[in-house]
Amino acid sequence: MPREAEPSLNERNFVSRALEEGLRVDGRKFDQCRPVSLKFGDEFGVAEVQFGKTKVLVKVSAEVTVPYTDRPFEGVFSIASELSPMVAPSFEVNRPTETEVLLSRMLEKTIRRSGALDTESLCLVAGKKCWSIRADVHVLSLDGNLTDAACLAVVAALRHFRKPDSSIEGEILTVYTPAEREPVPLSWLHSPFCITFSYFGEEGDTAVLLDTTWLEEQLRTSSCTFSLNRHGEICQVSKLGGVSIDAPVFVQCAQVALAKSKEYTELVDRKLAEDAKSRDKGGLMAELTAENDR
Amino acid sequence: MLFSYSSLLQGRNPSLKSIPRTQNPTRLTHRAGAMSSGPIYVLPGDEIDASLIPSHPKKPLRLGPGLRHAPPNDIIPTVAGQFVVERQKNAIRVETTSGRYIPRVGELVIGTVHHSGAESYFVTLSDFTSSALLPHLSFESATRKTRPMLANGALVYARVSLAHKHMDPELECVSPSTGKSDGLGPLTDGMLFPISLGMSRRLMLSKSAQDGKVVVLDELASAGLQFETATGRNGRFWVDSENIKTISLVGRAVTETDEKGLNVDQQKKLVRSLIKELS
Amino acid sequence: MPLDTSTYSLALLRVDGRRWNELRRLHAQIRIQAAADGSSYLEMGNTKVMCVLTGPSEAQQQQQGQRRGQATAGGGKNASINVSIVVAGFASVDHKKRGRNDKRTQELELTIAKTFASVVHTHLFPNSSISLALHVLSADGSLLAALLNAATLALIDAGIPMSDYIAACTAGSTSSYAAADDSADPLLDLNTQEEQELPFITVATLGETDRVAVLNCESRVQVSRLEGMLAVAVDGCKEVKQLLDKAIKAKGAKMIREGAAEKSDAMAMDLDE
Repeated sequence: MPREAEPSLNERNFVSRALEEGLRVDGRKFDQCRPVSLKFGDEFGVAEVQFGKTKVLVKVSAEVTVPYTDRPFEGVFSIASELSPMVAPSFEVNRPTETEVLLSRMLEKTIRRSGALDTESLCLVAGKKCWSIRADVHVLSLDGNLTDAACLAVVAALRHFRKPDSSIEGEILTVYTPAEREPVPLSWLHSPFCITFSYFGEEGDTAVLLDTTWLEEQLRTSSCTFSLNRHGEICQVSKLGGVSIDAPVFVQCAQVALAKSKEYTELVDRKLAEDAKSRDKGGLMAELTAENDR
Repeated sequence: MLFSYSSLLQGRNPSLKSIPRTQNPTRLTHRAGAMSSGPIYVLPGDEIDASLIPSHPKKPLRLGPGLRHAPPNDIIPTVAGQFVVERQKNAIRVETTSGRYIPRVGELVIGTVHHSGAESYFVTLSDFTSSALLPHLSFESATRKTRPMLANGALVYARVSLAHKHMDPELECVSPSTGKSDGLGPLTDGMLFPISLGMSRRLMLSKSAQDGKVVVLDELASAGLQFETATGRNGRFWVDSENIKTISLVGRAVTETDEKGLNVDQQKKLVRSLIKELS
Repeated sequence: MPLDTSTYSLALLRVDGRRWNELRRLHAQIRIQAAADGSSYLEMGNTKVMCVLTGPSEAQQQQQGQRRGQATAGGGKNASINVSIVVAGFASVDHKKRGRNDKRTQELELTIAKTFASVVHTHLFPNSSISLALHVLSADGSLLAALLNAATLALIDAGIPMSDYIAACTAGSTSSYAAADDSADPLLDLNTQEEQELPFITVATLGETDRVAVLNCESRVQVSRLEGMLAVAVDGCKEVKQLLDKAIKAKGAKMIREGAAEKSDAMAMDLDE
């Protein structure tokens, strides 16, 4: 199958010359992100994140299943990230590419393994019934910085999600519809965010960029992704190969990543509050009241 | 690599399902037969009003891209976009801003040399399409010994000389009749910016300011910037200048005009703000 | 279950009796297989890995540049580096079978392939491929580090030009992520038991420099701990590099003594060492 057009020599030369002069092709500063947009859907658990032209949609769903036999007291939590041919014809269904493997590993390490979601709270009847929470990541268009966008979308969607309320009386498990009982949010412990640094130049010291476009991503010599929450806990760091970088640079990058993570936390908190406000109809009493507005 | 699923139709309500067919503005325009009242948009499968189709006494009717002839005498649009009539040429076509570039004979394109074969260069015109062929000898005054050597990844400005649905397109950098290059050939230095197909068409109009409503380049030039540009119909825009900042500025001005669909006044405003940033 | 950190703070000795900055016994061998272009065997404590290298040879026409269960980096005009990792069923205690499409193994393969693609002078071997087959015989912590070291040895054995060694090791921190105690010590070269209990990072450096080629952390740790762990790990890598160097020089000296290779005048090596 024909491949994607690779960046031409002119583009390569221009990008590196511009970076040496302290310029990026789209006129941003080195540590400046493209405008980030975060939108929630009408349903609970749908979030769409946009970094410039990179667009990721995440949908969270829940169902009751049987827990794994080796973990009877824990619910099931999975993140499914598949890149479809919608992103680019080079992505085939059921044939994970390098990008896809790394993305799903990154989300797994950042959100699942770091214990952001309390899986024990998903248990309904030990060893018999539990909630299975599944986050589906759909990449709608790709223009670089996929990991950061996907991670932000997954965290936002999970925090926005409400699972149906349930109760146990004796042996009987009841799951209530939203009309009967207000759905409940997940037991969320902390919000980690991915921040990717891209290094340019033969020695990796020409420039350190945040939120790279696809063109820049094709030309970088190395990259490192930090996952942190706002409390300053690293959940994951991965610099997988590429040109070697001076060790002290990572310590500086970690500080920048921490500041960025706090920024993202604030963004998600603000958007969640806005969303909650727009949904708030004055609680159940307002709905039940028989009075009409005159 | 940029694949956006939105903005298929610019300047038109994209939520087509919710509009009852009778209220379709396209239809109303058709029925009124007011050809001069603004642009006419068509959808795939739309009927085209007979009064819109030009009837030249001698020349045959020419169908451009986006239209299909369904025998015996129906003409059906195959893409959504603006319906354009050229009365002098007795030609009609549908213009879209999006989609993949399909080469047509005589169009100027900017390609990237992928590799060199025995007889010709393999040139990439767009993502995920098979390469176009640029024979080694189709450069100005090129012989077997004095042909330009293009490295892999070099940019070349060329004209499509052969385009067929079932064959790889062929390119040339020389006019076959005069043997002159007419400005075609390798593009050195500078920077390439991706633009929409509609934008590249607007930029390539002979009077782009009047017909295409693109004034950014003129405005930038009158602000004292010196630069050189080349536009390829395959949605590529090349800028070169002594100054790196100028290249970046021109590229950003054009891509922003394209992406945000700026009108003439907004373009002027954009240029003013960009110039301020430069100084 | 938690590692008894109280005993550590008392005697400053770890579960296996090491001090904080002590490496486990590192035993390295090269040219262990006559049939391969390059091969190596490496032990870091109880972690035992083997690497068999084929190439540089003509690149196979692989579909889409990648075969199943292999990671490729580089490629195009330069030589591509293919890495495949096989974890033996008996390598760890739990006998868990890891499939070929296991994403964790794939990530390891990709990491190794990408690391060496930037160190090996791939431009000298256009349109060819270098295949590294890594076998994990016994896994007891610091797996990625051991695999990287073994791959370096095999590449040197095959005589493939590289800009420097890639030397790798792990470093951990005795603080759990919740505790913000300042008395926490960094630890060097963790075994499985320590890896399960403590946050740790894997670092690979370019030779004896401070330049980091791989930095990997999969556990929760305070950001302030990173600097200390990184410093200890980089020092550890320098030590590892010297040990690898020694193993290679010993083998070289042995080959000259046996007459398998000629001693060149440019060699400043003392054979009686």
